[in-house]
Amino acid sequence: MAATLCSKFLQRQGWLPLIQSVRHGSKAVTRHRKTFHILRAKLMAVTKYVPPERVIPPGAYPSTTKRIQEDSALTLLLKRDLKKVFQDCKMVAVVQNSASSAEDMMLLKNKLFKHGIIVKFFPNQVMRSFLMDTAHSNMAPLFIGPTVLFVSKEPKVKEMLKALRSSPQMTLLGACIDDTLLSVDGIVSYSKLPSVAVVQGQLVSGLTMLTSLTASLLQRHPAHLSALLQQHVRQQSPDSGAAEEEAAS
Amino acid sequence: MAAPTKASVLLKAVRTITVRFCPFESNVRSTREFLAAVSSEKVRSTNMNCEVTSMVKHDRSEPIVDITYADGERLVMKGAQLTSREMLEAFQSRCIAKDPQGKAAAKK
Repeated sequence: MAATLCSKFLQRQGWLPLIQSVRHGSKAVTRHRKTFHILRAKLMAVTKYVPPERVIPPGAYPSTTKRIQEDSALTLLLKRDLKKVFQDCKMVAVVQNSASSAEDMMLLKNKLFKHGIIVKFFPNQVMRSFLMDTAHSNMAPLFIGPTVLFVSKEPKVKEMLKALRSSPQMTLLGACIDDTLLSVDGIVSYSKLPSVAVVQGQLVSGLTMLTSLTASLLQRHPAHLSALLQQHVRQQSPDSGAAEEEAAS
Repeated sequence: MAAPTKASVLLKAVRTITVRFCPFESNVRSTREFLAAVSSEKVRSTNMNCEVTSMVKHDRSEPIVDITYADGERLVMKGAQLTSREMLEAFQSRCIAKDPQGKAAAKK
């Protein structure tokens, strides 16, 4: 409110008034916090809000009402994806990648894609809440920290192990192959198993061993067979004779 | 969560770090976090000769972190009851004690 000189009060040119008011009042709206008047300050101090004293510290007892958080839309999408993954793929492996650069990840993804293994990332919380509802709930403790999922329709364990050997930061934790949860040792022994056809052949050969022996005996000359049978009878009779003598005595 | 200025930890003082744990146990969280922190790019770049190996077992054993220093000293941390932060702090303090000149030069 500085005194302004306007032409109305200036009677003549070059005339300045004898009294000029220099004092001006302060503004109400300031950029800093204006200090209260002493009376207002006293009033504010007297009427300050004092919260009631808490006898129990706030975190001591858990609250009785627990709110169940509903899944967000993204979580539902991810869960649907996970369901599909578990239905389609025979092999689901869990690997912890402590730190691998983007290039390493890309190379690994490439190597695995050639064998039909896809690399998937899911948030741990979503994964755990999904697994608790399914039959694979024992896999839940594997999902801590930075984890990656290797997923494939055919269980190609040897190729996966080879690819993982080349990247030292990836640590294989476990896998669910054909609805069976396997540890690292289990995975290694699974990779060493021969193929299904070989195992079936071995089983069949073991079962038919006796019948094949009989068949080969019959195919040989009948004189050989009769000689074997005579020998068998001779062995039988002294055994039975000796048993009767022992029974009599 | 990670301790600050961890980049200068692995300078020449450490030879090998072995982390052994069983992933199906429930007391493994801190060990796994320690492994993740120690094998990060920053920390590994401070000492390329240091080998970080992880052994995954299934015999209900306790999680153990075995660190061998360049002068032959061994630090064994049993992670069952420790938090990852405590393990990292202990590890960092020992590394600083071993290599104070390097750390001071790096700070300056």
